[in-house]
Amino acid sequence: MKLSGVNYLFGQGIKNIWTNRIMSVASFCILMVSLLLVGFSVLFIVNVNSIIGGIENKNEVIIYLDDISEDEITAMGNKLRSLDNISDVVFFSKDEAFAQMKSEMADSEELFQYVGEESPLPDSYRVKVADIEKMSSTLMEINRLDGIISVKAPNDFVNVLTELKRFISIISITVLTALVIVSLVMISNASRASVEMRKREIEIMKYVGATNSFVKTPFFVEGMVIGIVAGAVASVITLAGYSKVMEMIMSQQTLWSVVGAGSFTPMSGVAAKIVIGYIAAGALISAVGTVMSTKKYVKV
Amino acid sequence: MVELRNVSVTYSNGVDALNDVSIKIKDGEFVFVVGKSGAGKSTFIRLLLKEIEPTKGRLQVNGFNLTKMKKRNAYRLRRTIGCVFQDFKLIESMNVYDNVAFVLRCIDASNKYIRNRVPYVIDLVGLKDKAYCKPSELSGGEKQRAAIARALVNDPQLIIADEPTGNLDPALKHDIVELLQAINDCGTTVIMVTHEHEIVQEFGGRIISMQDGRVVFDDVIKSNYDLEH
Repeated sequence: MKLSGVNYLFGQGIKNIWTNRIMSVASFCILMVSLLLVGFSVLFIVNVNSIIGGIENKNEVIIYLDDISEDEITAMGNKLRSLDNISDVVFFSKDEAFAQMKSEMADSEELFQYVGEESPLPDSYRVKVADIEKMSSTLMEINRLDGIISVKAPNDFVNVLTELKRFISIISITVLTALVIVSLVMISNASRASVEMRKREIEIMKYVGATNSFVKTPFFVEGMVIGIVAGAVASVITLAGYSKVMEMIMSQQTLWSVVGAGSFTPMSGVAAKIVIGYIAAGALISAVGTVMSTKKYVKV
Repeated sequence: MVELRNVSVTYSNGVDALNDVSIKIKDGEFVFVVGKSGAGKSTFIRLLLKEIEPTKGRLQVNGFNLTKMKKRNAYRLRRTIGCVFQDFKLIESMNVYDNVAFVLRCIDASNKYIRNRVPYVIDLVGLKDKAYCKPSELSGGEKQRAAIARALVNDPQLIIADEPTGNLDPALKHDIVELLQAINDCGTTVIMVTHEHEIVQEFGGRIISMQDGRVVFDDVIKSNYDLEH
């Protein structure tokens, strides 16, 4: 095809947006609302997962050590660090443990008179488990190491959190799937209505010898442009809305002190993904949806 | 050339629209196809445009064997045919110039060729002053002239006019048929489908009459003018 032909088809696509402006506005609104629905749901789910992740990171397994030499303690630390699911390893000496105990039980100072100055507590390693769903297998690996008296793990906390994660992921997938289906149906109906209004035009094009691609290209361009604009506007609304919500959360000290300020996904971490995701999804769904709606009419 | 050999068309609802029809129309002929509603005229046109397939028989139009041609290649055939319809089938959002130029855009003609050819054809059908009017701003006769300009613009071998006078005043009907005859005089084959016997009698020529999906008459008749003189 000549360059003039390509220019003509792209120009027709753009021109059609204005010529069929009522349907264009309707398609734009439906697409934008659909993108916003899905986008805000994804952001909500991402943040819930992030908060759970934050809580998950607070897990701590305490490994009480036998009376072993310093070299053996260092070797034990290296072995723990080499395990797959361990994210953080901190040594806590028996003196540090005793000092902490004293400070925590400052009101019962008389009790320590009988204990004396030497720490009765064992040395320990405090480790964090990266994926708490693999907690039991990690504990088994730890227990296999020599020089351990006992291992204390937050099993109840892990079980609750694992169940919660599973529940939230099922709910998220269900809600997101439903929203995506509803959005696709809405967008498909909008593009079908838009094409339906121009079926006569398509019929004429086919009678005068237009190829299917010649008929479809302006519709593709039209759908893509509407999709890009809807994606761009939805991005602006989402970013503005998200930043406002974050601002509100950060002003609620009690809220973020419970879940941790760092548990929320920051704006900078999602801004580019939102813009690219919205525009790409908008352009693709709208363009493909519009072209698919023409399929029935190009069979003349 | 158009050639149908023992062509039958049966629709999915069981209706026999064409029954063993054989017609041969040579290049440069002007043929009236007449018949009442349901006679098979529309099916005949739809066959020529490869809108539908024959159930039986062989069909050739402008050198294309339609029996073997794939539907997706129908655009090749249609680029050799100019169509004029009773309801004009003009794109309402485009002016006359763009409606006519659209055919050339479809065949990827250069802008220079479009700029030269389109005004020439619009002038030929007498719509020079209306070139930039939308179809809604034209009279019935002007719309049909615009449709004829569109049918003519890519210099087709065959023009199919399906009831082109159906929506026009009596005076305009005469003008449109005269215009089609002038096009035929330049060598283009014209098939005009009509149910208006007065027009056929007025102009005369080869008449193919259809009834219940069959050809019941195929011969040349004299025009009223010939009979009077």
